[in-house]
Amino acid sequence: MICIMSIFKEHKTNADRVASDRRRHKEKIDKAIREGIHHIVADESIIGNNGKQKFRITVKGIKEHKFVYGDNGKQVGSAPGRDVKKGQKLGGKERGQPARPDKPGSDSGEEYYDVEMSLDELAEYLFSDLGLPDLQKKQLANIKTHKLKRNGYRTEGIIPRLDRKKSAIARIKRMKAAGFDPEKAEEGETFSFHEDDLKYRHYKLKDEPCTNAVVFFVMDVSGSMDQEKKFLARSFCFLMYQFIRTKYENVEVVFVTHDVEAREVNEQAFFTLSTSGGTYASTGLALVNKIVEERYHPNSWNLYAFHLSDGDNFDSDNGKYIEAHAKLEAMVQLFGYVELEPEKSWMEELKLSRILMPRIREKSRCVTVKRKEDVWPAFREILGAVKTEGA
Amino acid sequence: MDYKLSDLEEWDEKIFAIAKGHGLDWYEIQYEFIDYFSMIGAMAFHGMPSHYNHWSFGKNFERTHQMYNLGMEGLPYELIINSNPSVAYMMRENALYLQILIMAHCVGHSDFFKNNRTFKGTRPDTIVGRSRAAKKRFQGYVEDPSIGIEKVESTIDACHAIQFQIQRPGWRRRTREEIIEEHKFKLKKDPELPDIDLSKNPLEEDYDILGFIAENARIPSWKRDIIEVCRDEGQYFWPQIQTKVMNEGWASYWHYTILHELDLPPELHVAFIKSHNQVIRPHIGGINPYHLGFHLFNRIKERIGMDECFLAREVHNDASFLRQYLTQEDCEDLNLFSYSRKKSGDVSVDDVSNEEGWEQVKKDIVRQVGGGSIPVLYVEEARKTGMLVLGHEHDGRDLELVEAKNSLRHIHYLWDNPAVLDTIIDGNAYRIET
Repeated sequence: MICIMSIFKEHKTNADRVASDRRRHKEKIDKAIREGIHHIVADESIIGNNGKQKFRITVKGIKEHKFVYGDNGKQVGSAPGRDVKKGQKLGGKERGQPARPDKPGSDSGEEYYDVEMSLDELAEYLFSDLGLPDLQKKQLANIKTHKLKRNGYRTEGIIPRLDRKKSAIARIKRMKAAGFDPEKAEEGETFSFHEDDLKYRHYKLKDEPCTNAVVFFVMDVSGSMDQEKKFLARSFCFLMYQFIRTKYENVEVVFVTHDVEAREVNEQAFFTLSTSGGTYASTGLALVNKIVEERYHPNSWNLYAFHLSDGDNFDSDNGKYIEAHAKLEAMVQLFGYVELEPEKSWMEELKLSRILMPRIREKSRCVTVKRKEDVWPAFREILGAVKTEGA
Repeated sequence: MDYKLSDLEEWDEKIFAIAKGHGLDWYEIQYEFIDYFSMIGAMAFHGMPSHYNHWSFGKNFERTHQMYNLGMEGLPYELIINSNPSVAYMMRENALYLQILIMAHCVGHSDFFKNNRTFKGTRPDTIVGRSRAAKKRFQGYVEDPSIGIEKVESTIDACHAIQFQIQRPGWRRRTREEIIEEHKFKLKKDPELPDIDLSKNPLEEDYDILGFIAENARIPSWKRDIIEVCRDEGQYFWPQIQTKVMNEGWASYWHYTILHELDLPPELHVAFIKSHNQVIRPHIGGINPYHLGFHLFNRIKERIGMDECFLAREVHNDASFLRQYLTQEDCEDLNLFSYSRKKSGDVSVDDVSNEEGWEQVKKDIVRQVGGGSIPVLYVEEARKTGMLVLGHEHDGRDLELVEAKNSLRHIHYLWDNPAVLDTIIDGNAYRIET
């Protein structure tokens, strides 16, 4: 018998050999999150997040496909005892079994990962590859403010801009070059300033991007706006606010609700308020115009306005609405009209969207949101991205 | 650590003597000490000391890591591969009794790898080197600007989807010449026999789908290489799939037997018994291979004798093993029952292990073990148009259609031409297309 005792040795750690595969796997999950994230943006848990707490989202794992049998095949398993009877129904999970594909009652072996993110990370996922190359140049272009900026020195200028030190140095240089020595100079002989010695600070007008933005959300809270429509509205506002927030240093939000008249409200009231009256949609935009005049001069604020409505408006108000819209559009970077319409309406041709559509110019967009799934495409379309379905 | 290396060497010597005394015959074992993360890392690559990279191994890592964090199955942190010498990993953090248990368990596995005939074609002497060489070549493809990671990854994705759609151990793939020769031979006996269509490729169903693609697809050599490596690995792992119950049963039988003869100090013995019971506990609603295999080898020894156990470990795979040895008494002792999802969506019990039901339960379990849950597919024909026609040996179980369609897309990618799969769904002929 040859003796073959075992060998014991230290494993040569080749760093972390799975590192690259884990990274690659993570990249795939990231991609899946990015592609699937618009499904979760309308989730209650995310909307209303205060931005500090992290939230968990569940992401479907990256599946490796294989030929497998469906679930019409028989399985054999061990029973906990002898009391199992032919024909007895099994409910795997209910009986406290772990969810496994080879056990009754579990789902088909889909894998899920819990991913924890903050609002900022979510925003990054959402907006990083929105497919909006010209966004910053066009819709979200910062309005310009003019500021005086130092721009070198000139030999001409006004007295207040005279730089004494520079001028003195220039004179001394000229004096040395001329071989004039004040120590040895004769009484009364001086070396006076020449016109060329005088250096004036030069200023130039330069454009400065304005980093202030204000977002107006105008919502119809008349009787026809039910919970479902409000939920869609909420999702949309949330997305838009998060997006604009990533683009400017200082973002303010103004909430305006309207039925037959408009009022400025806080966030809470904006989403929960409901009245039973009819609708004068123009009042909402008119109030925005008024607030802009009073508080947000278009020269120092980037203005964004979004109107969310189910599109039902009193006929008599349509003219005024268009008027108010035209006035507002002239001041804003972007105006978006979002029609929330869970079911098909019988008055399709009377909808506000029909009235507004023909007047859509470069700065306005008009979209329709019917379901949760429409929120993301609508959002993209409003931002001028590739045309997607709907609207 | 509650032990020194010299302790392990001492225990190894004792294990060695006992195992030899029982007639076990194993490869030299090379134990490598490893920390938790490297262990999970090694597990992600199925223990291969060097292996080509692919994101799915990163996924394996996360999954194994998660599984061990949630509460584990099987023997904690035991890993040995079918190579010569056997490479086994040992977690530094394990307690001494666990290391002893694992060493005895590994002797059982190594003996099984060396002697079970299912493993004859696995070339354990060269697997480590083959695997390392493949890793280097794949890395080269990734770095080659005309190929790159995306293509390499997609090719591996596709290969993994059909990695086990190759000839299974014991099946022989006949060459074209052999088929023609055999046909000529048959013709002599029976001149009425219809001619074979020599223009058809393959001449008869080819169950080695990866092999057929590698040999017949018009694809660049790097792609062919990846396919061949994955196929080789599929062949290497098929025996482990086919003998999971036996292999774990045999190793568990031996760690149990050896540790009882080792005269462990009482505190180690109690801890060992606890671990052992954890490992071989039944999994309710499923089959724990450690449990089933351990049970059967003990029964065979009682009923027929130890020689029969050695014979079984040499000639059987799980399906034939159960067919041969699983009795009504075993089915009853193990409380085996079969169940299925009915059209109504309910899951209900079809048969239980009693006088009238046990034979059906046995049939069902024989069909389930040893890779029986992997559908049998074959290449029917590679058409002149380029289309690849595949078939499915339907045995009453329908394919899962979504998965089948996605897997077929992978075949399409490898074959670089359309592929279809003919099967039966709900009793009707059904063609799956990409």
